[in-house]
Amino acid sequence: MKKIYFGVCLMSFVAMMTPSCKKDFAAINTDPNAISSPTVPYLFSKAELDAFNANYYASQISNVAGFIQHFANYKLTSGFGDKYLTNNEAGTALDAYYQNTVSEISDVIRYSKAAPDVNKLSQARIWRVYVMHRMTDMFGDLPYSQAVQGYTSNTFFPVYDAQSAIYADMLKELDEAIQAFDASKATFGSADLLYGGNITSWKKFGYSLMLRLGMRLTKVDPATAQTWVQKAIAGGVIVNDTDIAVMKYQSGSINLNRNPIAVDLIGNDYSATAYGLNLIEGDKYSDTYVNYLKGNHDPRLSVIAVVWNYTDPSNPVPDTTAANQKGMANGLTSQPVNFQSYSEPNPATILQYTAPLMVLTNAETNFLLAEATLRGWNTGAGTVASYYNAGVTAAMHQWALFGPGGVISDAKIAAYLTAHPFTGGTNDQQMQQIHTQFWASLIYDEYESFSDWRRTGYPVLTPVNYQGNNSNGTIPRRMMYPLSEISTNTANYNAAVVRQGPDLLTTHVWWDK
Amino acid sequence: MQKNTAFAKWRLCATQICTHTGFRFLMKLSICYFTILFITAQLLLAKTGSSQSIKDETITIGAKNEPLKKTLKKIEKLSGFQMAYPSEKIIQYKNVTLQTETRTIERTLRLILDNTDLDFKQFDKKIIIFEKNPPKSRAAEAENVQGATLKYAVGELKGKVYFDDNSNPVPGATVSLKEDPGVGTATDNSGAFKLSIPDKYKEKAFSIVVAFIGYNKEEVLVTNIDAPLVVRLKPVSSALNEVVVTALGIKKERKAVGFSVTEVKGDELVQAREVNVANALEGKVAGVNVSSLATGPGGSSRVVIRGSGSIAGNNQPLYVVNGMPIDNIPSTPTTTNSGGLNVDNGDGISGINPDDIESISVLKGGTASALYGSRASNGVILITTKKGATQRGVGVEYNSTFTEETPELIPDWQYEYGEGKFGTKVTTQQDAISYGRLSYGAKLDGSSVIQFDGVSRPYVAQKNNIKNFYNTGKTFTNTVAFTGGSDVLNFRFSVSDLNDKGIVPNNTLDKKIANLNVNAKLGKNLSVEAVGQYNVENNLNRPGLGDALGNPNWGTYMIANSVDIRSLAPGYDANGNEILWNSSGFATNPYFTINRFQQKDTKNRFIGYASVKYNLLDNLFIKGRVSDDYLSYEYTGITPTGTAYAPQGAISVVNYNTAEINSELTLNYNTRFLKDFNANVLAGGNQQKHTLNGLEVDGSNFNIPFFYSLSNVNSSVTLPRYSKTAVNSVFASADFDYKSIVYLSVTGRNDWFSTLSLDQDHIFYPSVSGSFILSEAVKLPSWINYAKLRGSWAQVGGGAPNPYGINLTYTQVAGSTMPLQEITRDANGNLVIPNSKLKPYTSQTVEVGAEMKFFNNRLGLDLALYNRSTINDIVPANVDPLSGFTSAYLNIGKINNKGIELLLTGRPVKASHFSWDVTYTYSYNKNTVERLAAGQNSFFLGTSVNSYVSVYAEVGKPYGQIQAYQLKKDAQGRTVYAANGNEEQGNLVDMGTGVAPSAMSITNSFNYHRFNFSFLIDGKYGNKIYSGTNLYADRFGLLKSTLPGRDNGLALNGVDDNDQPFTYTVPVSNIATFYDNRKNISSFFVYDGSFIKLRQVILGYNVPTKNIGPIRIQSLNLSFVGRNLLILYKKAPNIDPESTFTAGNEQGMEMFGVPRVRSYGLNLMVKF
Repeated sequence: MKKIYFGVCLMSFVAMMTPSCKKDFAAINTDPNAISSPTVPYLFSKAELDAFNANYYASQISNVAGFIQHFANYKLTSGFGDKYLTNNEAGTALDAYYQNTVSEISDVIRYSKAAPDVNKLSQARIWRVYVMHRMTDMFGDLPYSQAVQGYTSNTFFPVYDAQSAIYADMLKELDEAIQAFDASKATFGSADLLYGGNITSWKKFGYSLMLRLGMRLTKVDPATAQTWVQKAIAGGVIVNDTDIAVMKYQSGSINLNRNPIAVDLIGNDYSATAYGLNLIEGDKYSDTYVNYLKGNHDPRLSVIAVVWNYTDPSNPVPDTTAANQKGMANGLTSQPVNFQSYSEPNPATILQYTAPLMVLTNAETNFLLAEATLRGWNTGAGTVASYYNAGVTAAMHQWALFGPGGVISDAKIAAYLTAHPFTGGTNDQQMQQIHTQFWASLIYDEYESFSDWRRTGYPVLTPVNYQGNNSNGTIPRRMMYPLSEISTNTANYNAAVVRQGPDLLTTHVWWDK
Repeated sequence: MQKNTAFAKWRLCATQICTHTGFRFLMKLSICYFTILFITAQLLLAKTGSSQSIKDETITIGAKNEPLKKTLKKIEKLSGFQMAYPSEKIIQYKNVTLQTETRTIERTLRLILDNTDLDFKQFDKKIIIFEKNPPKSRAAEAENVQGATLKYAVGELKGKVYFDDNSNPVPGATVSLKEDPGVGTATDNSGAFKLSIPDKYKEKAFSIVVAFIGYNKEEVLVTNIDAPLVVRLKPVSSALNEVVVTALGIKKERKAVGFSVTEVKGDELVQAREVNVANALEGKVAGVNVSSLATGPGGSSRVVIRGSGSIAGNNQPLYVVNGMPIDNIPSTPTTTNSGGLNVDNGDGISGINPDDIESISVLKGGTASALYGSRASNGVILITTKKGATQRGVGVEYNSTFTEETPELIPDWQYEYGEGKFGTKVTTQQDAISYGRLSYGAKLDGSSVIQFDGVSRPYVAQKNNIKNFYNTGKTFTNTVAFTGGSDVLNFRFSVSDLNDKGIVPNNTLDKKIANLNVNAKLGKNLSVEAVGQYNVENNLNRPGLGDALGNPNWGTYMIANSVDIRSLAPGYDANGNEILWNSSGFATNPYFTINRFQQKDTKNRFIGYASVKYNLLDNLFIKGRVSDDYLSYEYTGITPTGTAYAPQGAISVVNYNTAEINSELTLNYNTRFLKDFNANVLAGGNQQKHTLNGLEVDGSNFNIPFFYSLSNVNSSVTLPRYSKTAVNSVFASADFDYKSIVYLSVTGRNDWFSTLSLDQDHIFYPSVSGSFILSEAVKLPSWINYAKLRGSWAQVGGGAPNPYGINLTYTQVAGSTMPLQEITRDANGNLVIPNSKLKPYTSQTVEVGAEMKFFNNRLGLDLALYNRSTINDIVPANVDPLSGFTSAYLNIGKINNKGIELLLTGRPVKASHFSWDVTYTYSYNKNTVERLAAGQNSFFLGTSVNSYVSVYAEVGKPYGQIQAYQLKKDAQGRTVYAANGNEEQGNLVDMGTGVAPSAMSITNSFNYHRFNFSFLIDGKYGNKIYSGTNLYADRFGLLKSTLPGRDNGLALNGVDDNDQPFTYTVPVSNIATFYDNRKNISSFFVYDGSFIKLRQVILGYNVPTKNIGPIRIQSLNLSFVGRNLLILYKKAPNIDPESTFTAGNEQGMEMFGVPRVRSYGLNLMVKF
């Protein structure tokens, strides 16, 4: 009996150490570092930042900036945009884009359906249009109506929507969202990093975006383009410096808080110890771009570009003297001699983590208003020349946001406009002058610059013909879909290719027909 | 859920007596543990020295007219003493009847053997029963019968017989003359014998045969009749009553086991050593596929038993020490296609000291491991550690091994043409850097040519770059162990120090392990055991792997063949910047890597185990066990200031701790029923908890150059790393045997998982197995000594999902200056669609086998056939990234493994001073991936640098298909060329599996007097390996296959894109481009991965020992040991086909790992 008693004691002792309770399973399986439902404003902030955070270097500098000859790259591994080689970098960026900003902004919309949240919903809807149009412009047809629904409706393999349908919906979304704003309701406030929740600003941003998208349709459907352009102008677009859409950044300790252009350029090329020579990836400004600014004595050249002065080899210093700037030819296959003497981004303005990022500015709206006026779609007071001048002025003023090194005095701007007045001429000549200036102003928004070039054909660029290029020696017209689309979403991918044309760099997207 | 009723009751019972927090549990664990340690230490001091005796030990036993053999067996079971008796003799005695009573063992035996000619004697834990008056030899009988008429002239041979394993004398051993078996005698109580030798044998050499049950017959050649003989008897190596360790640490007679289990003795692991003990299993166990990785000392091992059973999950076995699981998760996975701080941080099993291992049982099949439930679906490797033994005084064992390691293989590069790109020498320093890794220059002619550093040197072949860069590795291991014990308490304490200087300069490993095992019998019914192990492991500068970034091996192999690697030293200039030797800043200067990169990790590990066993009744005991495997891990990796690809440097700091806690309670009941049936029933419960808690901080860009502190970074991200899981289980098993002829075993286990939805969180795993001892049941030909048939069926499961995978959650972005939120990613940074319906997969195994022994046990055979199907495998189905996620885990996969395993053991020669033993293993596993997600034909497992090849699980094919691009051919098989002469890329095709389906090994051991010599040859075949080294060597002109066309251009003859004949001569200046283009035709670099290696050689000598003063040396063995000495056969050029460097599922890729080494040295084993 004693034995049994002892055994029971022992058994209970060990059993105490063997808690087979199931009841704490729910607690055990709760991640202490995560929350179960989102804090929507914080998600919105992230969605705003992520619109610019996805593979900026690989998808824009290394890729598109080579197409439109803002940048040049002598290497084969990173110079695919420079030489029109196939690559998966833009595709990788697309995946990252969908998994971050598209997914986040869609969640914000999902969680902002209640009536009191109408302003938040409108901000989110406009932002989603901003995010999506950049991607469809690069690739053409894309998953849109079924995008990022892997969790909400278990749509693992979304269908592709035709770009025409995407554009129609985006313009409708802009219209509805702008109309829905209600000054009496709450906004995202300070969580809105773009406008601090200012409804008026969001309306102007929405109409400016409508202007951009409407103008995009001039080649494929001028009538629809006119309708939307006029609607946008009537609604009121950004025209003043104070209204422009700019993402502001802090230095912070994580890259997400920093200007992604600066982060990527410093990280991939222009580190503090590179001194123009030891660039990791090998990018310099294209001579097409530098020559344009230099030939016109453009005051922006000294703001944007430097070369490294090795007079004292132990202490190379950046030199912003316009006369010393020199672009690198596109299509090179080996490092040119005196590599340090080619122009690269100015550390005092562009390569700052706190630099602003131009989202949509009055330079653009004024150039587009100039075009609208040229097309007779604008019934406003200005002339083509006055909008052109306002555009150039805005494009130069913007650089003041980059700090003292970026300030271009009104006198210099006036002198520039005097030396290079709007010359008029044929429609084509006027379009060329407007959109060449637009191209000059869009440095670093390579996506938009590429889209505008495809639509208008300006500036006139001479393609390089690297042996082994993948575009028959022509400047590419779109990005190729990510390889993951071919392997995972095959049927829908194939349907898109049948509709749009082969998945090649040379295929034109719908609005670029 | 009817079948679960019994378990439901268990759950209820367990729930009522449970406690709550892990903290309290830990407290209890440690209190319990230290209490046992304390008590045992007290007892140790009090009672060391005396021994367990049959004079004192009591048993309660009775018998009713049963055969003597049966009674003896009962005594064996009850007393714990092993019995040895001459079976053929004891049959003749009448049945035993004995009143049930408690008596001493001695008294019991006296009563039973009272009226027989048998006597007995205790030796240690053995009782030997022998004939008191051995029958006189036939010669002597003949003498009696025929009186004095026939008289031999006799001489007398004297000798003594000892047990080899414990040096005690053997009473009752028969000694006979080989040439005339009629001449014989037996040994007396002191093991001594006198044998009269007929005259006719006296003049020349003759042999005697010494035999004793349970021991090998010994033949001794006698050359001098006057010299006293000493004969040592070795236990029969796989004696029929061999005991093996099975699931939960339960010991069973081998013949009772209905599934395949292979045991490796600890002493097979301690002479020719591996730093990671798992690697030492290579070639030793049929069906166990061990891949030791090319990652330097302290790296991981990949072990897969009977093929990959899970498509995307873990495929490695569960490691169990003393019945309780330990944590084997590699610290951080090494990826195949990234560089920088990409190192192999080692795994859990490498923290076990081989000197502490008594035996390793490999439970291969599902049935063997079914009692471990969900975690054992890939098999179990059961390690039993050494214990102390009852003995006089304290025993001391010392084992010391010193080995040197050198790269086993020097690539066979071309040394005709030196650095350059266009068939010419370089003329400027800039070009020397641009073409620093290209050997497409002019013919080597000894002229003076400028190099990367502006210095001109002779243009000659540098064939010794590998030898010159790498050190001779040195590994010095010392273990000292103290054992002792009394009849109450036994202990063993060991301390081990391993010091390894890797072949990569500045890479060192220092590992110290202390292990204490204490077990005590506190009174008649209570016994306790406690094991505590503490590890401290410091690893400095583990080599970077994978891509060229921070990888010391990349440049060493790829530098142009006319540049001396040593001229790159020290790798940095006066400003601390990396000295560039080639055009890519990503191909790091090897000397910069070894001199400037810093990797440091420290592991502090505690493994504690405590068990209490109490006999409630004679045949009912209860056992409680707890164990904790606790690891504290600290890592700092520094990409230094001045690195070409990260000029401002970076730092990564990872600190975390993990704890794997198991607690278990079992009840064991043993009974006999219906006269001839025996039953052993076990039931129990187990709780497992695993926690990981830590932080990872990644910083980049040091503000102050060369000051490597997290406080000095310009940018940093801090991430919490936390996970916790729990599995609660109840289990039961019942073993039946009928007359020791038929055995049957059934088991069941139910697991509850914290990671599943509460409404469907449990799964039941049954198994049944049986064995039939044919040789006991029917009369077989005399040359068959033993025959056993076995069969089993089991359904186990595995791969319970990751924690927190049921619901979508959101996470704050760490370190942001403003609050930012995002969808939670998994530990690898992937967005996975949560699935609340997920459950563990199920794995069904059917296994049959046979064990046989022939020709007086000289030949043994163990054969196993199995078929294992995994259904409902958890597959991370690739979803379209544009769905917002990368994958969705679904229960849809199916994978099958079927195979055969063969073990043959033989003793071709057995002479008095010479023996030869052979062990041969063979295994073949056919793996087929049968189903993935709907519409999914392949699942991506991993890719090489630049995705030249990738590894997939593909429906209808063996797991781990290497996909590579073919050379494009037209319909007639002609090569298609592009206009510029480049070969065109063809289709992406499956080249075969990266996992060898077949393996074979053969071990030969020879014993001659005091010498022993053994060698192990093993091989694997049927697999493919992609060699990144060869691909790059082709691109850079190091392969001999890049020689054609160097002098006069390369004439091509094929077709163009339009199938029109195409002839072209690649000019010399374009030869480099032509061969470089072959990177796009990666199938050129996928080779047959088969190999045969001389894996291990041991040449040992047992030094005759003398006592030194008061110190009694029991034995002293000195051995020459070697591992991986020779590759006897291989197909892949320039590389060792075993040079993979990841422990992950993407096997079959090689690229610039740490060169695999040949290791050789000396081992010293001393017992005091």
